[in-house]
Amino acid sequence: MPELRPILLVEDSPRDLELTLTALEKCQLANEIVIARDGAEAIDYLFSTGTHTGRNAGDPTVVLLDLKLPKIDGLEVLERVKKDEKLRHIPIVMLTSSREEQDLVQSYELGVNAFVVKPVEFNEFFKAIQDLGVFWALLNEPPPGYQGHGAI
Amino acid sequence: MAVLQASANAKDYLGEAIVAGGMPGSMIEAFLPEIRKWHASEEPVFQTHIADRGLSLVAHRSDSSIVVEVERSTAEPSGSIFPRLRGFTQTLASQSDLGDSLTTGTRFVQRLTGFDRVLVYRFDKDWNGHVVAEDGNGNLPSYLDLRFPASDIPAQARALYASNRIRLIPDVSYAPVPIEPAAHPQTGAVLDLSHSQLRSVSPVHLEYMRNMGTAASMSISILVNGRLWGLVSCHSAKPHLVSVAVRDACDFVVQSLAMRISAQGYAEDAASSVELGRISARLLASMTEGPTWLEGLADSPDDLLAQVAAGGAVIVAEDDYLSVGAVPQEKQVRAIVDWLKGRDDGEIYATASLGSEMPEAIAFAHVASGIVAIRISELHPSWLIWFRPEVIRTVQWGGDPHKIVQEEGRIHPRNSFDAWREQVRLQALAWTEPQLSAARDLRSAIVGIVLRKAEELASVSAELQRSNKELEAFSYSVSHDLRAPFRHIVGFAQLLRERESNLDPKSKHYLQTISDSALAAGRLVDDLLNFSQLGRASITHKNVDMNKLVVEVVRSVMLGNEGRIVDWSIDKLPAAWGDATLLRQVWFNLIDNAVKYTRPREKAEISVIGSLSNDVTVYAVKDNGVGFDMTYSNKLFGVFQRLQRAEDFEGTGIGLALVRRIVERHNGSITAMGELNKGSSFEFALPTPRTKGRAFA
Repeated sequence: MPELRPILLVEDSPRDLELTLTALEKCQLANEIVIARDGAEAIDYLFSTGTHTGRNAGDPTVVLLDLKLPKIDGLEVLERVKKDEKLRHIPIVMLTSSREEQDLVQSYELGVNAFVVKPVEFNEFFKAIQDLGVFWALLNEPPPGYQGHGAI
Repeated sequence: MAVLQASANAKDYLGEAIVAGGMPGSMIEAFLPEIRKWHASEEPVFQTHIADRGLSLVAHRSDSSIVVEVERSTAEPSGSIFPRLRGFTQTLASQSDLGDSLTTGTRFVQRLTGFDRVLVYRFDKDWNGHVVAEDGNGNLPSYLDLRFPASDIPAQARALYASNRIRLIPDVSYAPVPIEPAAHPQTGAVLDLSHSQLRSVSPVHLEYMRNMGTAASMSISILVNGRLWGLVSCHSAKPHLVSVAVRDACDFVVQSLAMRISAQGYAEDAASSVELGRISARLLASMTEGPTWLEGLADSPDDLLAQVAAGGAVIVAEDDYLSVGAVPQEKQVRAIVDWLKGRDDGEIYATASLGSEMPEAIAFAHVASGIVAIRISELHPSWLIWFRPEVIRTVQWGGDPHKIVQEEGRIHPRNSFDAWREQVRLQALAWTEPQLSAARDLRSAIVGIVLRKAEELASVSAELQRSNKELEAFSYSVSHDLRAPFRHIVGFAQLLRERESNLDPKSKHYLQTISDSALAAGRLVDDLLNFSQLGRASITHKNVDMNKLVVEVVRSVMLGNEGRIVDWSIDKLPAAWGDATLLRQVWFNLIDNAVKYTRPREKAEISVIGSLSNDVTVYAVKDNGVGFDMTYSNKLFGVFQRLQRAEDFEGTGIGLALVRRIVERHNGSITAMGELNKGSSFEFALPTPRTKGRAFA
């Protein structure tokens, strides 16, 4: 059983945030859920900068990243994480309203681990979030030798 | 002033011996002051008549010397010449037809000179002669309409005719009289007799005359705009002398005819220019109004042909081929184009005998002996070619033109003057200069239109790109922002329902309706986005196994329709050429519809069929469902068009619009047949890679 590292949820819409949190709650995951409300905050958390300078917890076990975000958009957050030598192993799941093919193509080019279009149907949405949480937080093994950043 | 050279027979005329180095003799000396005066003037000739001796005296310049020619003058028709000339000019002025004028001219010259036969001999562009008018007294055979090969009047003779307008041979059996000394005493040059009227003629010419059975001849050049247009040629069976005054009158008559010919030419050119101008203007309007210059031209076939007086025309481009009037077969036209490509003619090529330049063209000479081809574009080669049919003419020659007897190294006149008939083949009527220039003008106009259309197109396409970008941005933001609220409504309604387990049935119903409506709206947004994306997404063509697609689609449609009994009949389908994802969508929507609209049937019957013919693949989905009224068939494929009530059959009204869009983006087409309560059939056709253009169901 891997150590319990937090899930980072990056979401600007309060309603989506509430729905996603409810869904995650129902999965009864023990992981802490860290919330970032825009791209800049997500970057600060991931890179331990700004208000998150010197944060203690290890790197998130998965990042649930909305595509359209204020300040810095999801694709740019994705790009910066995947280009960072230390952070690029963190699984990132794009969670988006968009069905635009170009977003999907670009996300995969930047190295996204999964791309999920938020379904309108709540039960489907709930199931998707649940699957994601279980897969990335519980089942997915980090690459060998991977040490959660800052968790020494 | 002293005599340099004199003819040996001068004494016979002037009554005293004239020798080189001596004086010209009293008869000429009497006129010396007048001759000096003339010599200082710019008049070309000096001319006088010595009535008591019955002599005419004509002088002209030859370098620094003066040549004086003396001849016996027959009794003049005298004072009567001028009234007759006036009559002639009046007749001429009243005639509109050139042929009539030429005939009037020959008649006048014949009556005035008394020659047995007077004819007008016209040169064609290759200097063959054609007798176009004639008058005579019957002593000599008629030559009217006969033709004579160019070799009959060789180039040197024609040059002489152009500079010395009038020649007279009163007696073909004359004995030539030498000039003494033969050479100019100071310069040693032979006296230039080009402008002499009494000079001896070439022995070849004399033999020619004898062959024709004539003893005397006179010819007067018809010069039109400086070019030798033809001759007025007079002959008599017996020796015949014509006085200087009469010759002058004939010269005047012929010059009047020349002016008449010239004026006629200008008038014809002007009239045809005006007419061509009108035709050009109409063609130009048609080309600019048409969707393309090509179709514009094809829409005005009469004008297109009239522009150059052609019998047919084609416009050939890589993929386009349009023809009007009488033209060869397309593959023959394309052979001409290939042949033209191998030449370097610039923008225009014209011939009146394609068959003699391109041997393959002999096969279709009957429609295409004359062609004018203009090349429109360097980049995307397109050609406009006009055709003229072969005109088989029967030509009557004055003797076989192919038998030119070679004798002692020089061309000898022909001995036979029997008429010889020849059929001229592979020849169309020649293209005139105004017609060729009209063709050139049309080419410039087309090039101008092509360029302007290209500019317009470029600006429209820039505009389109901009509005497409806006549309993309719009639909992108719709896809993000419009879907979210529906998701929220559905989500929170669900949460509320879970939280309030004790809701009364009415409240539960309200909550369900909220959820359903938001879901429906969400699906609508998804469908619309799908539809709009389809217009932009590029299609990747591959060979698609339609059998696999249909099996998979049937399975996934039936997943959502458990419990339904469907009798499937699925043919073996030919492979399609297209985008597998999009074609799957077509099958899905059609099969999903078939299952949906057969719902009232206890046992649904759905068949899927396909066939390949003439490089078009055709597929169809047929069912025994509720069908539709053919009156509304045109509404079936419209966005948001529904023929069923929402409570009977669910749907957003986009499915078939999407199907049509996909099929059309594949260059295919779709049709629907239906009968109310009996069933419906949707058939779509797709082109194979070898098909050009659209495939029709």
